[in-house]
Amino acid sequence: MKNLTPLAQTYVDRFSAASGSLPGHNSPAVAALRKSGLARFASLDFPGRKVEEWRFTNLTALTKGIKTTDAPANAALPAAEFETPHVMTFVNGRFSASESRLDKLPDGIKITSLAAELEAGNSALLGSDTEDNRAVVALNTAFMEDGFVLTADDMVTMETPLLIRFVTKADATENAHHMRNIIRLGEKACVTLLEEHLGADGHAYFANPVTDITLKKGARLNHYKLQAESNSAFHLANTDCEVPADAVYENFALSTGARLSRNELETRLSGGKSKSILNGAYLMRGAQHCDTTTVTRHLVPENDSAQIYKGILDDEAQGVFQGKIQIVPDAQQVAGDQLSRALLLSDRASVSVKPELEIHADDVKCSHGASSGELDEDALFYLQSRGIEEKAARKMLIDAFLADVLDEISDEAVRQYFATITARWMEKV
Amino acid sequence: MLEIKNLHATVGDKEILKGINLSIKAGEIHAIMGPNGAGKSTLSYVLAGRDGYEVTSGEVLYKGEDLLALSPDERASKGIFLAFQYPVEIPGVASATFLKTAYNAQRKYRGEPEVDAMEFLKLIREKTKELDIKDDMLKRAVNVGFSGGEKKRNEVLQMALLEPDLMLLDETDSGLDIDALKIAADGVNRLRSPERAGLIITHYQRLLDYIVPDFVHVLADGKIVKSGDKSLALELEEKGYAALSAA
Repeated sequence: MKNLTPLAQTYVDRFSAASGSLPGHNSPAVAALRKSGLARFASLDFPGRKVEEWRFTNLTALTKGIKTTDAPANAALPAAEFETPHVMTFVNGRFSASESRLDKLPDGIKITSLAAELEAGNSALLGSDTEDNRAVVALNTAFMEDGFVLTADDMVTMETPLLIRFVTKADATENAHHMRNIIRLGEKACVTLLEEHLGADGHAYFANPVTDITLKKGARLNHYKLQAESNSAFHLANTDCEVPADAVYENFALSTGARLSRNELETRLSGGKSKSILNGAYLMRGAQHCDTTTVTRHLVPENDSAQIYKGILDDEAQGVFQGKIQIVPDAQQVAGDQLSRALLLSDRASVSVKPELEIHADDVKCSHGASSGELDEDALFYLQSRGIEEKAARKMLIDAFLADVLDEISDEAVRQYFATITARWMEKV
Repeated sequence: MLEIKNLHATVGDKEILKGINLSIKAGEIHAIMGPNGAGKSTLSYVLAGRDGYEVTSGEVLYKGEDLLALSPDERASKGIFLAFQYPVEIPGVASATFLKTAYNAQRKYRGEPEVDAMEFLKLIREKTKELDIKDDMLKRAVNVGFSGGEKKRNEVLQMALLEPDLMLLDETDSGLDIDALKIAADGVNRLRSPERAGLIITHYQRLLDYIVPDFVHVLADGKIVKSGDKSLALELEEKGYAALSAA
């Protein structure tokens, strides 16, 4: 047997002892699922750079083991800034009832913590372990500790966004969190969800959230995510969404945090007139690395997918965009569009882009575009020559670069919130 | 107003300006003519403060102050306006936002109160009307998808709005039909006053039919080789630059 990476070996060694205290340990079904997850993880290990999907993202800094010595002594929980009556908070990987407000949810919307569901022996909602080559998903299955379980009944619409916060404090005893989230929307249900992943800068930890989403016919999920983890953290997220007929999945990820992050999204368009809209912006500086990897599967005819990702990279920051669009045989009359653009504010910053179109049908409309470049010096001088200071001129151009992708966010409150966060990031450019 | 003394400038490693001397007083309009490659655009960029245009010796005084020590935005706020030969397209920035930001940035620099959106709209509508520019241009991104004529007209609009003390026009006539040329010239002539000055850089004489200069200079190989009044422009038109160089 091959040698595992040091961190993977730690997980394998710890599993027996840890599984006795993880939620649902009394349920044979949950225990079996965890065991199967661990076995799969042990056979896969964390992906190295020889794994094609991980060619641009090197996990060595994580897999050799995280040093936690640089944790700040006292970092407070960041206050919630997004205004909404519905807030669910997880602190250090566990649901915090005292920092949550879930008493005003409309009828037909239910939200619980995964730990509570597993303790109650409700393992059915997890489904079975799938043959999946994603090691971090398998690791999550083995060690999942909590997360949110959101269900919406048929026809239920929730007007105001639900805010779900995952906060890692510096006093955490564990330096890794394996959150498992489950979303099930009934027919024609409509929900807007904002996830925040937050941590205090300087604190090193590993966040490994997995989100499993199933929409029923005609449902719509607006799923927004702010990744503002500590600048010493590792964040490897996987989100899978099943989009059947007439359903719409809209995702927007704004990433500003983590030392190394990867946001992996897989959508399966399994019905006619379904739509997958994946957009995002990543703002990185210092030595941050941000990877966005999407897989869009058009499994039946007549559906659409669209993606726009924009990155701003300063200092030595690195961006990665990998976007795969798969159109199976006979999935005719499908449209798939993809655009990746990166703005490099420093000549040491870089971006790697890999669009991948796998098309097995002939009556389809697909496009992909990728570009990266510096701020337009001609435009900068033009603005300055009219009296606009260099800093303000740069900001105008960066704003303009991001404006069209932020405009894709259909929820106005979230759009404004994300605009505020990007503006704050730019203050430091 | 503007005092250029023995100005030498390089672009990359190449010396383009090789000792320019020029004095422009308030109320005067000077024209600089010259063949392609003489250094006309370089001169305008040096005066506006563009990166990559390095002054190796000489000095430029603007209203008695060392112009070369100022950043491009400071120069603009102190009243220098360069109408570009090739106005830049800026996707994602609406013209109205751009104009208001520039207008208020200059006011702020000079310690004048900034104007609000309503006041600005009123002001800009007056200017577009004067210059026969359609208001919908203000909603479009700066110069994006504009025709050559529209771009030049947009330069004139900006100049009308910002009311500079020193107007620098870099080949404003290129790409303009005769109607657009008249409008551009009209924009400059409206601003002509005893307090203002202008430097018009052009390859052809025709713009000078509409903006009549007080002085005409010929720039060749990085130096002013001849100066005169407006009749010099006509002479050049007739005989060409080659005759002058040969003389």
